[in-house]
Amino acid sequence: MDFGAYEIDPAVYDEMFGSDGAPRGHSLPLHETLVKLSSADLGGMQERVGRSFLNDGITFTVYGDDEAEERIIPIDCIPRILAAAEWERLEAGLAQRVLALNHFLADVYSDARAVADGVVPEELVHGCPQYRREMRGMNPSHGTWVAICGTDVVRTNDGFMVLEDNLRVPSGVSYMIANRRAVKAGLRRLYRQCRVREIEHYGRLLRETLRELAPAGVRDPTLALLTPGVANSAFYEHMFLANEIDGELVEGRDLVIRNRAVYMRTTEGLRRVDVIYRRVDDDFLDPLVFRPDSLLGVPGLMEAYRHGSVVIANAPGTGVADDKSVYPYVPDLIRYYLSEEPILANVPTRICRRPADLEYTLDNLDRLVVKRVGESGGYGMLVGPHATPAEREEYAREMRTNPADFVSQPVLDLSRAPCFVDGRAEPRHVDLRPFVLRGRRTRLVPGAFCRVALRRGSLVVNSSQGGGGKDVWVLED
Amino acid sequence: MLARNAEGLYWMGRYVERTGHLCRLLREQMETLVDRPVREIDFGWRRLYAALGRRPSGPAIGFGGTDDDFTLADAFALADDLTFERSNPDSVRSCFAAARENARQMRHCITGEMWTSLNLPWLRLRELRIEDVWKTAPEGFYAGVSRDLDTFAGVVERTLYRDDRWRFLQIGRCTERLQLAVSLLLAQARAVAAAEETSDHDWMSLLRVSNALDAYTHRYGVAMRVDRVFDLLVVDRRLPRSLYGAADAAARELAALPPGPGPTGEAASLAALMTRTVRGGWPSEGPALEERCERLRHIEAQCRGFHDVVMAAHVAYEIDAPTS
Repeated sequence: MDFGAYEIDPAVYDEMFGSDGAPRGHSLPLHETLVKLSSADLGGMQERVGRSFLNDGITFTVYGDDEAEERIIPIDCIPRILAAAEWERLEAGLAQRVLALNHFLADVYSDARAVADGVVPEELVHGCPQYRREMRGMNPSHGTWVAICGTDVVRTNDGFMVLEDNLRVPSGVSYMIANRRAVKAGLRRLYRQCRVREIEHYGRLLRETLRELAPAGVRDPTLALLTPGVANSAFYEHMFLANEIDGELVEGRDLVIRNRAVYMRTTEGLRRVDVIYRRVDDDFLDPLVFRPDSLLGVPGLMEAYRHGSVVIANAPGTGVADDKSVYPYVPDLIRYYLSEEPILANVPTRICRRPADLEYTLDNLDRLVVKRVGESGGYGMLVGPHATPAEREEYAREMRTNPADFVSQPVLDLSRAPCFVDGRAEPRHVDLRPFVLRGRRTRLVPGAFCRVALRRGSLVVNSSQGGGGKDVWVLED
Repeated sequence: MLARNAEGLYWMGRYVERTGHLCRLLREQMETLVDRPVREIDFGWRRLYAALGRRPSGPAIGFGGTDDDFTLADAFALADDLTFERSNPDSVRSCFAAARENARQMRHCITGEMWTSLNLPWLRLRELRIEDVWKTAPEGFYAGVSRDLDTFAGVVERTLYRDDRWRFLQIGRCTERLQLAVSLLLAQARAVAAAEETSDHDWMSLLRVSNALDAYTHRYGVAMRVDRVFDLLVVDRRLPRSLYGAADAAARELAALPPGPGPTGEAASLAALMTRTVRGGWPSEGPALEERCERLRHIEAQCRGFHDVVMAAHVAYEIDAPTS
């Protein structure tokens, strides 16, 4: 494949090439391999990767007027490579962050020291729609509120930065593993040569993590993954992970509460469930406590949880710690709870509830990204430079009315990586979502789901917004 | 196993069986279209729709004369209705989609090989329209889907561990096979009664649809006798698709399941009764078609009851006291 027309922009970090256009040291073997392959070779590989996803049913379903359509997330066949030292720093930073966020959750649902000490404004915590009063006084095993975290990390010329913490029901890990299986099959010689670290034991680590969280006295817990059902876009992942943890894939209708304990309906009667890895949002978990119209949850689940007969991971109420309005305070929370300097930086963020930040944001709307604090998945976001004057004006109006609903960040020059597009290599913006597990201790596999903004020039990597995926190869030392 | 998974496997088995049955019926009918007289074509459509318990959408079955062009045009519409019509829950496409959707939801309960052998044919089938298969020999399309389903059955046989997953899948297949076979035999009898004349072809085509023509000629020779056709299809345990074989297999798989929280004994009793009804006291050789049909109607009712009690015993049971 010819890299002759590949565009290097010194202002944007390129994952494969230095600013002088030469391949980075750890990317040399990949570059050499790609140069030797023809476009037809890579095209065939790309086609096989996509086909294997479709054949294996690694799909998500889009429901239209006529018939549900199954789609795959487009996967780029060129892996992104991280050197051992890069991963080491990321790993340490992510573990630090998740530990601090767990401390924060334990704190805000008990005596709220961080609020009392002025680290986080009281209104941000108690006014947050994701703060669940029902969780006050709860004390999950090992202080673990967040057992599974998917942290979005981006890289610029200034290094890695955390863009977002996903502490509720982060998804994408099955794609991380499926990408690996598909891409290493296509580049097997290179894969061996590069000494890539394995990630396929993620399921075992998740299982160990969930078992550690079992209710007191339960030595051999029964695990279940609670899914909203087949209509959910991540259903394949739910099924995959249920198998990996050796648990049952259950829907709300499979579970019943008896004597403040959770049971599932089996062909031989009711069987006790000890740990629920839930992939259902808080609002839908229990219609008796949260949304009464929920058909996805289990009436009485929260009472069983409070009674201690079942563990729910992640705990309800974790959303208060990944809310966009709390995000700017995470570095301070790391300092506060761990007495350490954050290893990974945040993206500089202005909080529009502060008058000065609001004014700055309004004055610089054409240069900023503005996000609504309650939204996720790339929805409700204004990318100033790409927005029309009318869109910016509409946003400004809303911001003046409800400033607390918005935060703003500079438009980041997300790093780019070569992707196989239209028969040649083209740079596309990428991010990284590693998955951190926390039970009694922290566990990570050396890898991540790399999201790619497949549209030329686009910075939006979300799969719901036209993004795709890439395999990430973390190299041995 | 989770009750919902058992139900999903059971229905997957039923839909796979239903799809295969439909393909055999349609393949036979397409071959009839090639060179058989209009009367036989008409007979085939009547039997087919009666076996499915449906009425055709569009033009009614029946021919005012012997206009072959009209027959072929009509066949196109009827075949489309029964093959690709999405609003028809009994079309080949709908049944295959339902089997595959159950497999998709139960993927964690089946082997990877099973999934692949069902998913790949589905990915091909979902793109097709009647025009695509009508251009050449449509019977080849139905033969192809039947082969895919035979492959699936072989993959199940080779890869699925013989635990409760296997049992619920087999119970679903056998229950469906019983119901379909009984409906087909009764439909054949009705079509024969309504026809002014019949021929050996009508009976040979029934045997072909039931994968039994070879067995019949091997056992009885080429001369067609109605009582022998019925006897072979109902009580001959050596015929893989006989009613007795299906009832017996359903009863055996049910007996191998651990007791369910619902009325397990009732399900077992009904399975045994169904097997006895099929085999015990089946009229001996002779021309008593009506007597045989009467017995088939009993089996049909028992079969419906069997579905209900299996579900009540293992899936949709009442919850009273918890089990730890």
